[in-house]
Parts: sequence; structure tokens; C-alpha cells
Amino acid sequence: MPDCKLMAHWVAGYPNREDSLASARALAQGGADYLEIQFPFSDPSADGPLIENAGRDALESGFRVSDGFAMVRELSQLGVPVFIMTYGSLVVAPGTAVFVAEAAKAGARGLVVPDLPPDHDEGLFLAGKKAGLAIVPVVAPEISEERLEIYRRLEPEWVYAALRLGITGSRTVLDQATLGYLERLGKLGGKLIAGFGVRQREQIDALSGQVHAVAVGSHFLECFQQKGGGDNLRQAAANLRVKGEKPGLSH
Amino acid sequence: MPDPNPNRKSGDFTPADYFGSYGGRFVGEALRPALDTLERELVSAWKDPAFQADLRVARDTFIGRPTPLLYAENASKALGGARIYIKMEGLAHTGAHKINNAVGQALLARRMGKKRLIAETGAGQHGLATAAAAARFNLECLVYMGAVDMARQRPNVFAMETMGARVVRVDSGSRTLKDAVNAALRDWSATFPDTHYIIGSALGPSPFPDMVHRFQAVVGEETQEQLRQAGRDATTLIACVGGGSNAIGFFSPFLDLPSPRLVGVEAGGRGPGPGDNAVRMTGPSRMGVAHGYKSRFLMDSDGQIGVTHSISAGLDYPGVGPELASLGESGRIEFTSATDTEALEALRFFARQEGVLFALESAHAGAVAIRQAPGLSPDQTLVVNMSGRGDKDLFITAKQLDRESWLEFLRSEVENA
Repeated sequence: MPDCKLMAHWVAGYPNREDSLASARALAQGGADYLEIQFPFSDPSADGPLIENAGRDALESGFRVSDGFAMVRELSQLGVPVFIMTYGSLVVAPGTAVFVAEAAKAGARGLVVPDLPPDHDEGLFLAGKKAGLAIVPVVAPEISEERLEIYRRLEPEWVYAALRLGITGSRTVLDQATLGYLERLGKLGGKLIAGFGVRQREQIDALSGQVHAVAVGSHFLECFQQKGGGDNLRQAAANLRVKGEKPGLSH
Repeated sequence: MPDPNPNRKSGDFTPADYFGSYGGRFVGEALRPALDTLERELVSAWKDPAFQADLRVARDTFIGRPTPLLYAENASKALGGARIYIKMEGLAHTGAHKINNAVGQALLARRMGKKRLIAETGAGQHGLATAAAAARFNLECLVYMGAVDMARQRPNVFAMETMGARVVRVDSGSRTLKDAVNAALRDWSATFPDTHYIIGSALGPSPFPDMVHRFQAVVGEETQEQLRQAGRDATTLIACVGGGSNAIGFFSPFLDLPSPRLVGVEAGGRGPGPGDNAVRMTGPSRMGVAHGYKSRFLMDSDGQIGVTHSISAGLDYPGVGPELASLGESGRIEFTSATDTEALEALRFFARQEGVLFALESAHAGAVAIRQAPGLSPDQTLVVNMSGRGDKDLFITAKQLDRESWLEFLRSEVENA
């Protein structure tokens, strides 16, 4: 079976600074190939309820953007590429170039900002090129050919493919339309990370060979809330790795 | 009444993406097809005489246009300065200017073949206007409303439900208007093939700000014509500013002219402290990107949107429409604020003097009229937009203005229920 990498998502500062770092670490130890650390925003417009509420808890426990960069600095020592996901407000507030430089300095490999798309990016993609930080665009199923071409010209290293219309955390069914969409994205040239609704091994098996990696977020929060962090999260990540792959940090 | 501004009634209209450095379409790719389609359909509807005719009929027979321009003779004499006029926009159906936009967008949605309307609402006025338009034009309606707002605006929830709308309680974030906006945007990104999102103010991702401006411009166009008929040239126009849809509509035909002075009034709330008001344009706001657009927001240095306060739910919002932000920066619109207390005083003043009950939002504009009128002479004209009427605020104003007898009434209602 072809390999399909796992990008594990966690909300920085949830449920608090220490446990958030420990949780992300556990996901990496469980075999996640990439970590996606979301910096919570007060007004998220693309999160499902689990992630939104986790973000709210993190903000209520005092999360600051500087804490997020500190967390990324720690995690990037693990040898697993770390991506930051957040919203435009946090990126634009200090100045886009400043935020991007900070992210690169903290050791992040990439940055995902869904509400700063290429023609309304406040200089994000250019700043990423200058700082050597991969800006990962987020595309969605009904994207027009015209818009696809805009993305292709960015020559993205990774492309985040939303798998269905709407929010994170509800079920994804891989139908012909989805497969056709993923095929269309092939022309972008970047490595595809599929997300928004992935929670089961069967879904990941279905995506193997179609995409480079799958992003899983709400599922891990659910595991954490039901059974706690630590070993439980390690196991949850390990369960989603493709068969035949040994969980662990070496790859 | 003759066409006050025939050029704006039909024909070419290309909605602006940016107003100076503000505006834009800051949304995830999932919403792009919805917004791109909406823009195309809007441009085509605007040129379509049938669409314009439907809009005209709805304005005349459903909204109740034109709304009167009242010469506030008693108030003018009491203040001893400018000749004050009140644009009685609160006499529009459902009690506020919100209906102009809701009807316009509902007609557009119907033309686009949509079956379902969604809306966000704070005080409930925009939700109510959308519910009315949906019922009238045979569309399903779902209104997102923060749990906190539902609790304090229960009468509007009943009214929306009576008109067949489903009101969905939003329990995320601060559980107020901004969270309802987020919930509606999320719904729309999954449902746009059969659903139209009627945003309630001149903000959000393009083409919403300019589209809402166009649907509200009728308020200013009527005012301009009514002033002409009265033989008056306005010295000053005053409107309250939450998101800013009543202000941009009221000011619309005057924006490119050197006069009159245009004054926008923000909510001064309890005072200048952080979280105590919703003063964006003269307060410590920052340029930011949220809710799909770039503008001035009350936010911290990290970019987290702040908490706001105003006695009027309609002004209790952390951002300001991008066109107003730009016009504030250029100086064409002057911004000032009025506190909760000043708004209540203005409400009482115009009620006593003119028998007109302002909505709490509009009473902020009234307060600035009271402040500025004495400095003008009787041959100068000041027009204040009463964007809404005050019936909806009964539960807030009554306990502020006559607490004891109101509480006694509530107790007896409970006993008799």
C-alpha cells in the first residue's frame, strides 16, 4: 500500500500551555509525520465546534501569540516538520512580514492561513518566499480553473486540500467527485495534504496514493476530551498511521 | 415622488472590492465560488429592468417608502439653533432601515434561484427584516443569533419565529453578534448552492459592503429630494454607526459633494475604558482583517478581537464597515461618539418634544444633534437619521427610565400568565 503521511493538528495553548505542548509531543511520538499547530483566534470562521471551543479555552487561559512561537520552537526540536495554522488577523496585526519572519525563526516549516488567499494575501506569499517559509494555500472542492491557475503560479511546496465544503470535524465520504477534485489539484505541483473531516483509518486508506498526507484535528481533540492525553494521544496517532509503517520518529 | 437620482436606480453597477486600503474579500477558498457568483448575479440584476421594478414595488407597497422627513419644530426651538429635521426611517416596515437591504437581497436571492436565506442578527432587527422578506418572497429562513442576544432580545425572537423563521442559538465565542456572523459564514460555505447569506450591514467580504450600500442608498436619495422640496440645503447630516449601513445609505448621494458635513456617531458606551464602548474611528482601534474584510477593529496587539459594550445592541460590534473607515480616514465623514446616558437623554428629549420614539441606536445620532444644533443658526439645517424606532427597546429603556413601575408591570404579567 502506498504511503500516506499523517499531519496531526493541535490547538496551541489548549487546554493550557504545558498540556498543549505535551499533547503535540505525544502526537509526534505516536507517529505523526507533520505537526500542525493552530494559533487560536477569537473569531475563527473555518473551525468546527470542537476546535473553536478549544481555541476559546486556550484564549481564556491567556494564550498569546508569543506563547505559540515558543511552543513551535520546542516542537521543532523533535525532528518533525511543524506547520503553523492561524487566521489573517493574527498575521496582519504585527505586519505580515514580521509574523512570517517570527514563524521562520521559531523553526516552523510552513504556514497555513485560510483567509489570506492569493489575491487578498496582504503580502503573505511574497514574505514566505523571502523568509524561506512555505506558505501552504488552502483550496476547496468547487474551485474554478481560473483560481487553480493562480495557485499553480505560486508553485506551492504543499497544498492543503479541504475535502468537502464546510467545516472541520464532520464525516468525509470519498466519492468520485472527491477523487476527481484531487486529480485536478495534481496540476498545482505541490504535495497534497487533505483535511477537514478525516477521522477514520478507512478514510485514510482510501486517500493513500491520492494525497501526500492527511490532516487530522478534531478527532484528536475528541480522544483527548474522552480519555485524556499522553499515551492515549500517542495511541490515537499510531492508530491512524498506514499499516506496515512503524510508529515512531524515524522516517 | 420623482426619481431623486435616476443614475443610481439601474444600469451599470460594479461593486467595489476595496475602499482606499479597506475592504477586500478575506475568506477561505470554500467561500470564493459563492462570492464570485453573487457578484456576477448582482451586476446582472442591477441592469435588469424587471429586477428594478420588483424592488420598486416592494419598496412602495411592502417597506412603505418613502419614509417621511419631519421638521422637528419643537426640538429646534427648544435647542435654539439649527433647523432640525428627522428622517423617519424607523417608520419602515419591521421598524428600521434594515428592511431595505433584506428586501433587496431577498429579491436577488429569488432571482438567483435560491431556496433558503440565512442571516446573522444581534438586536434582532436584521433577523426580523430577513424573516419578513423571506416570508413575503416564499423563501426558507434561518437566523443565527448569539445566546446572550437571544436572552436580551426575546420579543424579536418571537416575532421572527411567528414569521416562520428558525432562530438558531449560537453558543460559541462571546455568544453575541460577531459569533453569529461566524456561524452564518460557516453555514454558507457548506450550503451556498441553494442558500443566500443576507449580511445585515455594509461590511463582510466584497461584494457585500457595496451591495448593502446600494440597497440602503434609497434613504439618502429620498432625503436629498425631500430637502429640495422643502427648499432647504443641509448644513449637517448625522447618523449612528455600528457596522454602518444606515449611515452609508443616508450619506450616499452626498459623499462626492463638498457639503453637507457628514457626522457618524459611534457608541461611547459606559466610557472610554477598554471593553466599555464600541468606538472604532476615534478610539484605540487597529487596522485588521476579520469577518471577511479589512477595516478598523477593536483588537489587542495580537490581533484578537476585543469585547465591546453599548446600551444599543445594534452598535455593539468591534468593526466598522470598510467604506466608512476609508471615508473617516479621508475626512469626508467626521466621527464622534455618544454615551449610553446621552443616548437615553436624547431618546427622552425627542419623545417629549416631537412624539417620536428613537431606537437606542439612532438616539446616539439624536444626542449629537442636541450637542451641535445650538452652535448653528436658524437658517442652517441639520438632519438626523432616525434609522429605527424605539418600540423594540421597551424592555431596556423602560427599566432605565421608570424602573419601579416597569418591574411592577412585569411582576403582574408573570402572575397573570
